[in-house]
Amino acid sequence: MNIATLIPTPDAIPVHWGWLRFFQIVTFFIHLLFMNIVLGSSLIALLEVCGNHRGKGTGVRDFERDIFQKLPFVIAFAVNAGVAPLLFLQVLYGNLIYPSSILMGVYWLSVIGVLIVAYYSAYLMKYKFDALGRFSHFLIGLIPLLFLYIAFVFVNNMTLMQRPSAWIAYFTNAGGTLLNLRDPILWPRFVHFVTASVAVAGLFMAAVRSTGKPTGEAGAAGHVDRGMRYYILATGTQMIVGVWFLVKLPTPVRGLIMGGDPYFAGLLLVGICGGLGGIYLALKRRVWPTIWLTLVVTAAMVLLRDLIRAAYLQPYHEMKVIPVQPQYGPMIVFIVSLISGAAVIGYMLRLAFRSKEERMDPAP
Amino acid sequence: MNSIWLIHYPVWDLGALGGGFLIALMATVHVYVSHFAVGGGLFLVLTERKAVRENSWALLAYVHRHSRFFLLLTMVFGALTGVGIWFTISLLNPTATSKLIHIFVFAFATEWVFFLCEIISLFIYYYTFDSMERGRHMRIGWLYALFAFLSLFIINGIIAFMLTPGKWLVTQNFWHGFFNPTFWPALFFRTFMALMLAGIFGLVTAVFTREEALQEILMRYCAKWVLFPFLLLMVAAYGYIAVLPEPQTAVIFDRSPEIRPFLTLFAAIGALLFIVGCLMMARPFSIRRKRIIAFGLLIAGFFFMGSFEWIREAGRRPYILYGVTYSNSVSAQDMEKVAQQGILASTRWTQRRTIGKDNQMAVGRDLFRLMCSGCHSIGGPLQDIKALTRTLPVAGMAAMLDGMGKVNDYMPPFPGTEEEKQALAIYIVEELNQVIDRETPVIAPAQRPFEQPLFHDATDGYVLLAWSDQGMQLLSDADCFFSLTSPGLDIHAQLVRRGEAPEIVSDGVDMTYRIEAGFETPARQVDYWRFAKTLVGKEVAPNMGAAGKSVTDRMEFMEENLSFIARKVPVVPYTSADEFQPYPLIAVEARDRSSGNLLAATKFTAAVSTEMGCRHCHGGPWRVQQTAGISDPTARDILTVHDRINRTDLAVRAGDGAPRSCRECHPSREDDPGKPEGINLSAAIHGFHANYMTGRGADACVLCHPASSEGFTRGFRGIHHTLGLDCTNCHARMEDHAIGLLVTELNAAKKGASRLMKNLTPKMTDDMNKIAARKPWVNEPDCLNCHQEFQPPDVDQVELNQWTKSEEQLFRRRTDEVGLRCPACHGITHAVYPAENIFGHNRDTVQPVQYQGEAYPIGANRNCKTCHTVDMTEEIHHPNMLGMFRNTQ
Repeated sequence: MNIATLIPTPDAIPVHWGWLRFFQIVTFFIHLLFMNIVLGSSLIALLEVCGNHRGKGTGVRDFERDIFQKLPFVIAFAVNAGVAPLLFLQVLYGNLIYPSSILMGVYWLSVIGVLIVAYYSAYLMKYKFDALGRFSHFLIGLIPLLFLYIAFVFVNNMTLMQRPSAWIAYFTNAGGTLLNLRDPILWPRFVHFVTASVAVAGLFMAAVRSTGKPTGEAGAAGHVDRGMRYYILATGTQMIVGVWFLVKLPTPVRGLIMGGDPYFAGLLLVGICGGLGGIYLALKRRVWPTIWLTLVVTAAMVLLRDLIRAAYLQPYHEMKVIPVQPQYGPMIVFIVSLISGAAVIGYMLRLAFRSKEERMDPAP
Repeated sequence: MNSIWLIHYPVWDLGALGGGFLIALMATVHVYVSHFAVGGGLFLVLTERKAVRENSWALLAYVHRHSRFFLLLTMVFGALTGVGIWFTISLLNPTATSKLIHIFVFAFATEWVFFLCEIISLFIYYYTFDSMERGRHMRIGWLYALFAFLSLFIINGIIAFMLTPGKWLVTQNFWHGFFNPTFWPALFFRTFMALMLAGIFGLVTAVFTREEALQEILMRYCAKWVLFPFLLLMVAAYGYIAVLPEPQTAVIFDRSPEIRPFLTLFAAIGALLFIVGCLMMARPFSIRRKRIIAFGLLIAGFFFMGSFEWIREAGRRPYILYGVTYSNSVSAQDMEKVAQQGILASTRWTQRRTIGKDNQMAVGRDLFRLMCSGCHSIGGPLQDIKALTRTLPVAGMAAMLDGMGKVNDYMPPFPGTEEEKQALAIYIVEELNQVIDRETPVIAPAQRPFEQPLFHDATDGYVLLAWSDQGMQLLSDADCFFSLTSPGLDIHAQLVRRGEAPEIVSDGVDMTYRIEAGFETPARQVDYWRFAKTLVGKEVAPNMGAAGKSVTDRMEFMEENLSFIARKVPVVPYTSADEFQPYPLIAVEARDRSSGNLLAATKFTAAVSTEMGCRHCHGGPWRVQQTAGISDPTARDILTVHDRINRTDLAVRAGDGAPRSCRECHPSREDDPGKPEGINLSAAIHGFHANYMTGRGADACVLCHPASSEGFTRGFRGIHHTLGLDCTNCHARMEDHAIGLLVTELNAAKKGASRLMKNLTPKMTDDMNKIAARKPWVNEPDCLNCHQEFQPPDVDQVELNQWTKSEEQLFRRRTDEVGLRCPACHGITHAVYPAENIFGHNRDTVQPVQYQGEAYPIGANRNCKTCHTVDMTEEIHHPNMLGMFRNTQ
């Protein structure tokens, strides 16, 4: 069977594909940050509990509480920020992501239910952290497990969509229970993302405690220290995982990264150097420079990821051949609403921070 | 896109969870919560304002508690099920989802911005409830309400587009699609629905307020939120319906039987909400009752909203994006091409491209998944294909597929080839329903010997010719369910006094007839007499016909017909031993009235058959002898289908012992009592069924009529059958036959004619308009079309619009130059001499054999002496009279 036969004809797009790709990359970058914080911080909470049980941790309870105080907010933004890139992904790659989603439909759809459970669990931890007693340990174990599952499903889909040769399995199993387990890059990619999430979440924990109140609050310095330690360990591990990932990539794609294409190679170089630089800065406990550097590395990795996907799909799908039926008006409306929305958000945040400072009497 | 691939995506095989179960589940819960999220925003800030104005700490505390409930419900469950809908539709109908996403990508993106603003404003609203200055806080509340409404504004445009794309179909312009015909009424409708739900949810939290006084205030306050938006919602609903285009209105309010229960539910719950709302305003309740009311309304609101969404979704049928993508994922613009290529040849995601005996079932399974599973589950809660088709045999299922998207236009057409239809039908019937539909081998009828009446050329002074007016009467015997025709054949006789100048005589003659022994008690064999009161509106004495004739009776001479006639003689094809016998003989005697002496006697077959093949499509067994008759299951299914499509209650009436005659609504002849506004029976039946039997020949006719050469009756038995003609040679093919009949009804502006006609394609011409109107029983095949001037025919096929112009031109009514009726000498239609009857060699040729010793028409082969007693040289009856019979046997 000619595999190309299985790839649906793409629908027409309303603007040049470059715009959609730009929006997709930018919004994915934002989503990735929130998502990493969600997954990484829930994993860190679990690691902390495990460490505490072995008698190594002190003040861990505060650190965990701190994590779960923020987790529901971050989940909300992670979900919201995930909608936009998935939307633009469907516009650019709908003819690939839909078939792969259907092949693994059971797992793909289960993400919604799992996320609802994880989200409510996070709220439970936020509001009832102390009242839950030992049940909180169960949730601390459950929540990262659920997020790991979601990450695993996403990694499966994102790799399956760029591997149409694996789609043929549909003809022996149309029940939506296929996974991309035979893809050599599945596990390294998954571990790569999970490791990155721990690093980003560690950095987030440190950043939160180093903003405006590091000295005044009990244990703040310890929290920063703990966060940076996770960052260092995860980023160090990433160097090994990254090599594993690189090795498992198909030869033509790896060739591009290893110097075959300057963009690929350059982005990887940024990633490696940024990682090493980040470790150095983190060892010095320079939180914000580490953050800025990590943002650069993350952006480079997002771009590299996008290029790798394009390279994977090169025989089957090229964005420049997607038909265009130009209508730019709706995009302008979107941009205007985005700018206006940002302004209103700024205004609302200003009101919120001002009230925090003023601590108004709540009497009506 | 110029490609052979027109069906692009794989289909998730969900089995019992197919048929849209997942989206129904996900969408109904999401829509409920998301509308609450919209209305609830306004509820929060307005209630907060009320608390501030009334300086009520308690009310403010309630708002704070409610906002927490609101946050946890809408932000988590509401938001994620919204994403869930998106996931689900892309899994269930990626073609339509892709289309929608590509058209409205920036609308979705804009809604995403509003969603982000909602999240942030709601977080701020809740978490600063006690810390922010009240005026600023309410500003945040107003902003949340605004962004929630804007989210609705955007999503409403997209959802409304799915039902009424309006001008977008022509212009492909985003704004035409977004601000489509139902945009504004839908927006108002949803807004009022959202406000109403805010009241219901407000009530749910209010009943847990500890202060009784506050609880009372809140009950009345929330009741206002339910009542006033409800009234406005009703106005919006009216506007919504008013702007719906005709096809969507027809599907919602007329065509789709699945929508009706939801319309009823919507109206009933609406009334309930209104009444309960009024009660809550009027009087206080105990806390227990308040809680029951609150949760009762919560459930009622869910079904109210759910039933509306169901109606709206179903109103798009047969599309999922109206006019753009069918619910089976075939693009509207590609449907015709798919039908030409076939499904397998158009589908990317199949490995089977050809159909053979070995893979028929597997192909059927693939086709079901591709074309049906989007709307039908297998044994699941929604649109279970097994339940919907359990009565159908393979032929019926194939016919159903053939007719899809035509009369039942709430389903998309099935664009498969004949082989694909057959494969899918076999899969559904034999694998899913486990019905192995094997036609029972037809039992060869036993020969029924009879006593041939004699004729003595030298001494007999009279020739008696007798016949019935139909050569193959089709009788429905499901009288406890319905009646197509009352039992009753008109029988005719002409008595010729022999001589050199013979004459047709009537004066002083008593003409009687007697049915063959065993057929004297038709009322014991069929239920017509039992249900005559409801079938024809009056009691009919057992064994008597509607015109007062029995099976043994006198005939009256009718001057205008020059023949003795007995009307509506109740002949049924069953003997008193319950044996099916479609050719009972009727003996006729002519006696001198004054002396009582026998002048002449003869016999003829009264061909009446109940071998009506309804069961081929409607399922069920034969009623008698595995050979004939409409069994109860078959009849029940016929009524069920009729009720479903035409919103009648015939099955219920039949169940109540009050079956109706089809002619009550479908008068067939001029003298039929019935509603003149109804389509005549022939046009209705042929018109309806032609939609399910396209492109067929005589095989379509013999599915219902007892004329199959492999059947038991084999009603087509005359010389034309022997010569190899079939039904279509004289009657034309099913589509042409039906269109002609329907044109008459269309010209008379009868409701439903255009619906039956619109998908029929004429076969005799490319131009539908060229088919002339014709009436049943009046404009029928005319023998002289082929036998021009009574000569041997040059053609053997009826041509366009070649029908008799009036009843007088009908073969059974027409006379020769001297007044002899055509059937008198030639036998009746479908059995013109020489006819071969499988129940006995000469059963259909009693009279020619009696008078001439051979089965050819009376007077054929220059047998003029039969009446004239001498040879004749002039063709006084009709031209070509003296030619020798060509098709000798």
